[in-house]
Amino acid sequence: MDDIITIIKSAILLISAVFVILAAIGIIRYKDDMKRVLYARIHILGILDVVCMISLLVLGEPLLAGVYFILTPFAAHAIANAHYYGEDKDD
Amino acid sequence: MNLFVFSEYVLMAALAIFAVATIRIVTRRTIAMGLVGLSGFTIAVATFLILLQNLYGIAYCRDIALALLIMDMVGTIAFARVLRGYNSG
Repeated sequence: MDDIITIIKSAILLISAVFVILAAIGIIRYKDDMKRVLYARIHILGILDVVCMISLLVLGEPLLAGVYFILTPFAAHAIANAHYYGEDKDD
Repeated sequence: MNLFVFSEYVLMAALAIFAVATIRIVTRRTIAMGLVGLSGFTIAVATFLILLQNLYGIAYCRDIALALLIMDMVGTIAFARVLRGYNSG
């Protein structure tokens, strides 16, 4: 039984690694002169957030995963909101 | 080396690559892009520290990761609020 759980945990970590690589490719792939590229990057960052939360749960850190689960939507909204009302108005 | 340790090393390598990508994002023109890059860098480093704790048994890495996550979120929200401007509501 322990072996099956270890295999499932390992599979989750390996799939997480694939998603992290995909997020790394995606976040530098877009050119800066593209319109509204910041929102696309926040979206990619959301994928990484979820992947890291699942990895933290697998690694036995529910406190960190919970704290991050609560705080990260606030941060993503704050960045998008600040860009929309602050920097994006200047363009 | 068993499968779980191998997968932990693979995830560490992937997170290191992502951290380099986010450092590139931090150096972009707008401030909000810097915040996005920094947020990604922080979660990558925090997960990296937890993996380090699991692999080598360094207990205080967990405390560093927790402090890093909380302070990053507080800093991001505070800086975003300043960037938005106080007068616009």
